Formats: sequence, structure tokens, C-alpha cells
Amino acid sequence: MHQARRLLGIAFLSGALLVAAATPAAADPKSPAAVNMGLKILAGVYGDMDRKLAAGQYDRLPHENQEFQEGSGALKDAVAHEPAPFKEKVEATLKTTLSAATHVADASASHDQSKVKAALEALATALRNLNALFPESLRAEPGTVAPGRPH
Amino acid sequence: MQTRRRLLSLALMAPLAASARRARSAERKVVNLTISTDGDLLAYKPDQLTCPTGATVHLTFRHGGKYISQEHNWVLVVPGAAEAVEKAALAAGEDAGWVPRGDRRILAATPQCGKSHEVSVTFTAPAPGKYPFLCTNPGHGEVMHGILQVTPN
Repeated sequence: MHQARRLLGIAFLSGALLVAAATPAAADPKSPAAVNMGLKILAGVYGDMDRKLAAGQYDRLPHENQEFQEGSGALKDAVAHEPAPFKEKVEATLKTTLSAATHVADASASHDQSKVKAALEALATALRNLNALFPESLRAEPGTVAPGRPH
Repeated sequence: MQTRRRLLSLALMAPLAASARRARSAERKVVNLTISTDGDLLAYKPDQLTCPTGATVHLTFRHGGKYISQEHNWVLVVPGAAEAVEKAALAAGEDAGWVPRGDRRILAATPQCGKSHEVSVTFTAPAPGKYPFLCTNPGHGEVMHGILQVTPN
């Protein structure tokens, strides 16, 4: 039983690795600077959300979500001329990221710090997944753009 | 007799020289500065500005964003007051344009500026020193800031 569970675990890990290998990052996007800027804008708004949470400004978070949705237009434009399969993959991952941002706004209505923090962490994970689709040199991970004063 | 003539010509020349100095000074003291947001990012471009003390400064601030509709402003404050002004701006609220009116720590402030628009402000450059400027919209000042270096004449 124990061995079967271990084998199942190994099989799952191998599968995950295979999936990761089969979905390589776009080696050479047609508009690298625009892709970098699109990711930077999203990471920048994420940073603003993080500061709002730290300051307890829950009522400003829906507004940040609006900025996040608007700012996503930069990345959409940046991949507009990429081959369809890659473009679709980016758009699908971006859609998940936008849902995560909306969830932060929804959670903010509770004024519950731990709830909003969890939603923000989920957004950070979604953003990291989005970044992973692109070459490392173009990425803008959450927390690296406009992080503000330490808190 | 000669001494009296010299004194007379000096007395006549002095106001002329002073007037010429004033004219030169007035010419020198008008400075046009331009600054914008760094596209849609929470940053100024450039984030360092320079002007001489006493100058009449015309500052134009442009919102260079393309996607995000969030407004920004440009607020010059006395050294060391950026964080306090940021808090006061939050307390002043949106109806006040996120600027605490009558706050003596604020030396100059533009109105709020929307995407692809520009606003301006005119002020007299203060004493030589390094003066912080920031966007006083909530949460922006922490990252959207810079320095105006005022140089001696």
C-alpha cells in the first residue's frame, strides 16, 4: 500500500515535469519590450494592492482591481501577434490572473486581513504562472516592481 | 572738481548698473520643467529635476499612461515631509483631490491629471536644497516620488 502510494507520487511528479517540459516559455516574443512592460504593469498594480492591504485601506482594493483589469490590456496587446497556440495560452493564464485580482476586490469587502491576504497570495501565484510563460529576462515577478517602503 | 565729477558719474551709473543686474536676473530666473509618468507605471520620468533658487518655475506634468485610467499629481514638499504629507493627503480625501489645502509643508501642487493629459503649476523655487516631490494619491507616494534639486544662483 505504502509502495503503491509512493509509486503514485512519483508518477504524478513525472507527469507534472512532463507537462512543464511540454509547455516551454516563448523563447523569442515578437515584442519583448512590450511583454516586459505588460508584466511590469501587472506586478506594479499588485505592489499597490499589497501596500493598500498593509495600510488597511480595504476600500481602495476594488479600485486597484479596476486598474489591474485595465493594465492587462498592455499584455494582451503585447501578445496580439504571437502564434495562436501561445497567444491562447497567455490569454487563458491571464484570465485566471484577472479572476484572482477580482477575488482580492471581493475579499476586501470583508475587511478581514487574513482573507484578503490569502486572496492576494493567490493572485501572486497566478502572476508567477503568467510570468513563467515568458523568458526569464522579460519577467516581472510580483513584489519586484514598485514594492514601496518595507512594512 | 575732478573728484566731484567722478562721484556724480558714479551716482548716475549705479542705478543703471542695478537695473541691468535686475534685468539679467529676471531673464535667468524663468525655468520650464517637464515631467511625466513612466507610462502606466507608478513612477515619474525623470525622477530628478534641477532649478536655481528664486527662479519662477513653470512645471508641466504629463500623464503618459495608455491603459490605466488612474489619475496622478505632482506635489513638491519641504525636505523630510513626504510621508507626513502623504498621510495628510489621505485624510484630506478624494474630494480635496488628495491634497491637504493650506498645508504649509506643500510648496507646489498640480491638479489631478488623467491619462494622456497634462497639467501645470507655477511656483518660485525655494532656498537651495533637495526637495521631495510625490504623487499624493493613496499608496502612490511610497513609490512615485523624486527630488527637485534647487541650486544656489
